[in-house]
Amino acid sequence: MSYALSTLWFERQRYLPAVLAVAFSCLLIALQCGLLLGLFSITSIPIDESSADIWVAHPDVPSVDLGIPIPEAWQSYLAVPEIAHTEPYIEGFAYWKKPTGGTELVLIIGARLGPDSIGAIRQLTPELRMLLSETSSAVIDEGEFTRLGIEKVGDTAEILGKRVRIVGTVSGLRSLAGPYLFCSLDTARKFLNPPPGQCTFILGKCHDKEDAPKVVERLKAHPRKLYPFTTQDFSFHSQMHWLTKTKAGIALGLAAALGLLVGAVVTSQTLYSATVASLKEYAVLRALGIPRWRMAMMVVSQAFWVGIAGIAFAIPTIFGIAFVGAEVGAKIMLPYWLLIFATSITLVMAMLSGLFALRSLRMVEPVTLLR
Amino acid sequence: MRADGLPLTPSMKAWGLTRSYGSGDTKTYALRNVSLEIYPGQIALLMGPSGSGKSTLLAVLSGLLHPDAGTVLTLDKDLWAMNERQREAFRLEHFGFIFQGYNLFPALTAREQLEMILKWGTGCSARDATARTSDVLTMLGMSKKAHLRPMQLSGGEKQRVAIGRALIKQPNFVFADEPTAALDWKQGQHVIELLRAAAHDQGSTILVVAHDARIIPFVDRVLHLEDGILYEGEERPMELYGGPTAPSPGYIAQ
Ligand SMILES: Nc1ncnc2c1ncn2[C@@H]1O[C@H](COP(=O)(O)OP(=O)(O)O)[C@@H](O)[C@H]1O
Ligand SMILES: [Mg+2]
Repeated sequence: MSYALSTLWFERQRYLPAVLAVAFSCLLIALQCGLLLGLFSITSIPIDESSADIWVAHPDVPSVDLGIPIPEAWQSYLAVPEIAHTEPYIEGFAYWKKPTGGTELVLIIGARLGPDSIGAIRQLTPELRMLLSETSSAVIDEGEFTRLGIEKVGDTAEILGKRVRIVGTVSGLRSLAGPYLFCSLDTARKFLNPPPGQCTFILGKCHDKEDAPKVVERLKAHPRKLYPFTTQDFSFHSQMHWLTKTKAGIALGLAAALGLLVGAVVTSQTLYSATVASLKEYAVLRALGIPRWRMAMMVVSQAFWVGIAGIAFAIPTIFGIAFVGAEVGAKIMLPYWLLIFATSITLVMAMLSGLFALRSLRMVEPVTLLR
Repeated sequence: MRADGLPLTPSMKAWGLTRSYGSGDTKTYALRNVSLEIYPGQIALLMGPSGSGKSTLLAVLSGLLHPDAGTVLTLDKDLWAMNERQREAFRLEHFGFIFQGYNLFPALTAREQLEMILKWGTGCSARDATARTSDVLTMLGMSKKAHLRPMQLSGGEKQRVAIGRALIKQPNFVFADEPTAALDWKQGQHVIELLRAAAHDQGSTILVVAHDARIIPFVDRVLHLEDGILYEGEERPMELYGGPTAPSPGYIAQ
């Protein structure tokens, strides 16, 4: 076992604050990012849960939530051999007047409901689709009742002074902003009043999903200035839009930087005072002619092991918290690249703290041992 | 002259050593024009009242403290003409140190404290380091306690580990500043015997600072420092005088 590691273990009480600080930094970064990823994955649920391969939007569209009307007739531009099927998709925000008083901003999402529809989310069962075919009916997530001021399926409220009725629920489709209201194209038109013959997006389905990127590239070159995406791109684009629009990215960066700073200060101070406590031992080594870099290596490898120990504490805690979070409905996404990112950045932080603690070695003076 | 009648060549020669601390009114001289020669295979004892400059002399001779004036010539090299790096390399190759405090790493076992010096200092292989450490631990009578940490060792045992740390490189010189001060007589005697063995068996040059006059019979030579001035004591090769005798009062430190 390395001397640094033995020291760390033997004097674990001394090093514990540093280990915990590293664990805290790692935890903070991973959970913050995971939470945001989870949060913003919500913004693209309607995209991810559709069956479309290609989305065409107005050039200025920032996200799936904020479409700008385009002519439905643009479907003809998608008449290319690779595309099997196209359809319009309408969505937009509207004010939902709660029966209990007050209003709530809702996102109305209207799509075709037929069995081969590509816009409708997969969670809409044939029964629900049948119920939705009646104009002014909508489906919501089962968790949105309170937000909408209603109690059960069958309840009604008003949008633009027109009655809307909840005919069923789906699960796992809670939204970040206003609750989603899934409905037919006709219902969406009724509540959103788009200009005649216009829709928000045009969707396309390819014979072969693999062709989608190629088709998108071709559509981009179209003289009509279409704004086409593959479903994956559009989903990502939408999440990024929310990340930047809400400044959550900045908040995340700040929180992570703060976490790192706390970790770095505690780690560096711990290593510094540990080294100072061993100044006499180091001084003997210096007297014996052991080069200074050996001692520097000792401090830096202590920093490394503090980092490793901190990460070892952090990883199970991160998963524990993510699990508890999932239980209480906070979605924390922990893709492996995020864990690698969080652990490497904290490890680098720990090592840099070690480098910073090296200044203590300047106090090593062998002559002080001779008194 | 050596016991076998051959002339001794000093392994270290110093002359004109002066060292002061402070300046102006507070300036004190710790060394005043000190000259000496020390010899391989001998253990020399440096005595003198507290504050007489013993530690300062040791520091100057061992390349740890720059003298104001004077020369230290050792193994044909001028110690204080070297640059810092050269002196460091020279210390690594030739010097061992023992201090009053044991200064052992609390987290490391006796074995690790010694191995560390070889691994970090000489870059010798882990296998050689282990073998040599085992030898030294056996010589110190510490092989059964090799796995213990300083906390679990008595003062005398800790000092033996510290001696092992000084000897493991098989240095030409060992400088020991009051290595027995914190030990009882029995432990202190053991320490001196170990150092004496290093001088006699390995031909090292050993300079020990100590207060206890009971050590005198165990050493080859006594030097006396008072107020920064060195008085050459008589050489007392044990072989000639036939074993330990009572020390002459002149060598008893205050
Ligand atoms: N760093 C220092 N600063 C000022 N004076 C010192 C310093 N080190 C030693 N001295 C003085 O130098 C003299 C000799 O000290 P030292 O060599 O430690 O003596 P000894 O080891 O014989 O007790 C003493 O008067 C001491 O006060
Ligand atoms: Mg002294």
